[in-house]
Amino acid sequence: MKLLSHFDNDYDEDGFRTCSVTGLNIHQDAERYVKIYGVTAVIALVIGGIFALTVALTRWELFSLVSEQNYYRHLSMHAWNILIFWMVFMEIAILYVGGPMVLGRKLPLPKLAGLGYILMLVGALGVNWAIWTTPAGADAPLLTAYVPLEIATEFYAFAIVFLLGATIAALPFFAAIWLEKRGNPGKTLPLVAFGAFITSIIAVQAILGGLAAFGYAFVWRVGIIETINTGIYRQLYWIIGHGSQQINLLAMITVWYFLTHVVGGAVVVSEKVSRSAFVLYLFFINLGAAHHLMVDPGVSVGWRVFNTSYAFYGAAFASMIHAFAIPAGLEVGRRQRGKGGGLFGWLTSAPWKNPIFSSTIFSIILFGFVGGITGVLMGQLQLNMTWHNTFATVGHFHGTVALGTSLAFFGLVFFVVKTMFRRDFISTKLAQIIPYFYAGAMGIATLMMMYVGILYGVPRRTSSAVENIPGTDFSLSAAELLFIPLGLGAVLAIVAGALFIVVTVASLIFGRRLEPGDDGGLIPDGGMATDGGITAEDIHAADMRGTFTMCLIFMATFVLLYILNWFLLTQLWQIGA
Amino acid sequence: MSTPLDPPKGNWWDIPVNRRESIWLGIAGAWSLAIFGWMSGFTRFGDQNPVGETYEVDPDEQWARTQDYLDDAETIEIDGREAVIPPDDSVYITGYRFAWEGLPVALEAGRQYDLHLGAYDVQHGFSVRPEDSLSQQINLQIFPDTEWIVPMTFEDPDTYHVICNEYCGSGHNGMHGKFYVREEL
Ligand code: HEM
Ligand SMILES: [Cu+2]
Repeated sequence: MKLLSHFDNDYDEDGFRTCSVTGLNIHQDAERYVKIYGVTAVIALVIGGIFALTVALTRWELFSLVSEQNYYRHLSMHAWNILIFWMVFMEIAILYVGGPMVLGRKLPLPKLAGLGYILMLVGALGVNWAIWTTPAGADAPLLTAYVPLEIATEFYAFAIVFLLGATIAALPFFAAIWLEKRGNPGKTLPLVAFGAFITSIIAVQAILGGLAAFGYAFVWRVGIIETINTGIYRQLYWIIGHGSQQINLLAMITVWYFLTHVVGGAVVVSEKVSRSAFVLYLFFINLGAAHHLMVDPGVSVGWRVFNTSYAFYGAAFASMIHAFAIPAGLEVGRRQRGKGGGLFGWLTSAPWKNPIFSSTIFSIILFGFVGGITGVLMGQLQLNMTWHNTFATVGHFHGTVALGTSLAFFGLVFFVVKTMFRRDFISTKLAQIIPYFYAGAMGIATLMMMYVGILYGVPRRTSSAVENIPGTDFSLSAAELLFIPLGLGAVLAIVAGALFIVVTVASLIFGRRLEPGDDGGLIPDGGMATDGGITAEDIHAADMRGTFTMCLIFMATFVLLYILNWFLLTQLWQIGA
Repeated sequence: MSTPLDPPKGNWWDIPVNRRESIWLGIAGAWSLAIFGWMSGFTRFGDQNPVGETYEVDPDEQWARTQDYLDDAETIEIDGREAVIPPDDSVYITGYRFAWEGLPVALEAGRQYDLHLGAYDVQHGFSVRPEDSLSQQINLQIFPDTEWIVPMTFEDPDTYHVICNEYCGSGHNGMHGKFYVREEL
């Protein structure tokens, strides 16, 4: 607590203060919990990042760092700390920003925020303990904890505790939305709060699936039921396994709307369109969990085609809507201030030196081009045969979570350092290069993961396949060369990630304190809000040429990659009835 | 224009959508339907679909069936190793920690076989590629309690390698097997 008081801000007698960047009315409880959840998330990122190094240096068989006996433990540590704990702790913080802070309310039920935190922490520590104490050579959970592997019973138990904790931690957010709606009937939620709200509903659905999956495995492990069905576990598991990725996606998109506005001056070009896209997610995105079951036995073709396409691509369509709406908001906002002429002047003249801005934009671009397109490709029933469980799959989800979501969250952490911890960066220069450095290195690693997977069929989840498959002369050594940029990119990305941690932590401890009223250089040039009206005329007068052009380039890339993947598929021998 | 941090004012639902945004909505919507149509059409006219009959089967029975099949099969020596010649069009391949029962198997090029895929213990990944063209690879998930019958016709004579690509325990990285596809057996 002493440590935390180092970061206390001054509040009025009701416990509120006004943020000098966003102008939001911030309550002390909400702010305190955002900090606690955020710091815990960063600690999980550190642990997950350390294991990213051991995993990457094992897969790069020039080093083969960890033996097979231990490798799967390392991979489990990487997956759970970085995908689950880094992201979910951040997401609770995002709910508290998107709910109470944006609405200018107190954090309701602060005791539950504390209880949820403690349960999540116990769950997270317990999962780490259960993974790490798995004896060498025994079954490790990896991310998926597939049955009927004999995974430690404690693992399932602590995973359940973590999920219960996350549910409790979300309750204050729901209460804030409920109080707001009850107090102001007929008033519409701001878009960021609306996005956070949809995120939280999807989160509840995901968590219910997780409790069912881990609960089912748990009662089997302790012997209450004698047999367990592989296919049923997979269906239940992927409700959370993929559901948690939908949470990451929606939280990230909400953060995109938030950060492009507060540091880039973006506006909302169409409330109707953006909100409808969120509603499409609500209805359809969870169907996408089925794309993990595309090459499973026992599920019918019709079921797979309908679900993997989110019912005729309802959710992919929603993502393409945001892909236009968010850059268009930036373009229109900046043009209204007279910042930037021509096709892309608004973008080239944007605050690229602000790391919060650059990480947000890299997140948007890389998520779309790298993670998004490949997700739709590999989610097609037939193409999935060429992607499933290859390294290309790992490439896809590092495109979504390691590039897309993590970069957006890096931006958000920097934002919180400045606006809530009220610290300046210890070195603005260092902070500035981090998004470029990380996006570049991780981008290379991610693309190489896809190449080795698709072009050489290198499998995921194995300690060696390229230099040496024990017991045979055969190996995938043709892929050796591509592992050089893959491995270098991976190591550099970890260095960039470490730099992010160092700058964040050092700024918190040694950074210059920002006095009340100091915006820390974050306010976009020309101010945050514009004074354009919202009449029917000016929506058509608004110029979105640049965004439109970028979206056409995106679509062309998409179509090209689609054709290429299908071409490769049809080169194969005949398969299937 | 509104900001994402403030409630939108007035009747925001009725504000028209910018022309360029509307065009984009049209393009994105049409593309969504097109790729849906192609995927679902391909299940009818395409030659590569991860589709076949499935049966629930318990591991003991899977074991018995695989053994019966192996008893009926002849063998042939290829590259100094005994390979199974399937007695008819059915080919049994059953994964277990850390090998593939039924492999290596010798098959005729251009003939359609029914692959009976299953496992005795945990999940495995059936990942196949010809030795001379690594980019031609396919991957199927294998369950211990389900038999999946997937027809396949290998056109090009080559040696095809099977790698397990679902984590199945420590030893998984050595789980490998072969198909010998030959013009004639
Ligand atoms: C600094 C960068 C990172 C590097 C170098 C890295 C490297 C890797 C590699 C090589 C694998 C595949 C191992 C295998 O299948 O054998 C892997 C798996 C994985 N990574 Fe990362 N990663 C990084 C960051 C991240 C981030 C930021 C996330 C999530 C937010 C993430 C989530 C995962 C997950 C979920 C898996 C799959 C685990 C499983 O198969 O159960 N990684 N990572
Ligand atoms: Cu296996």
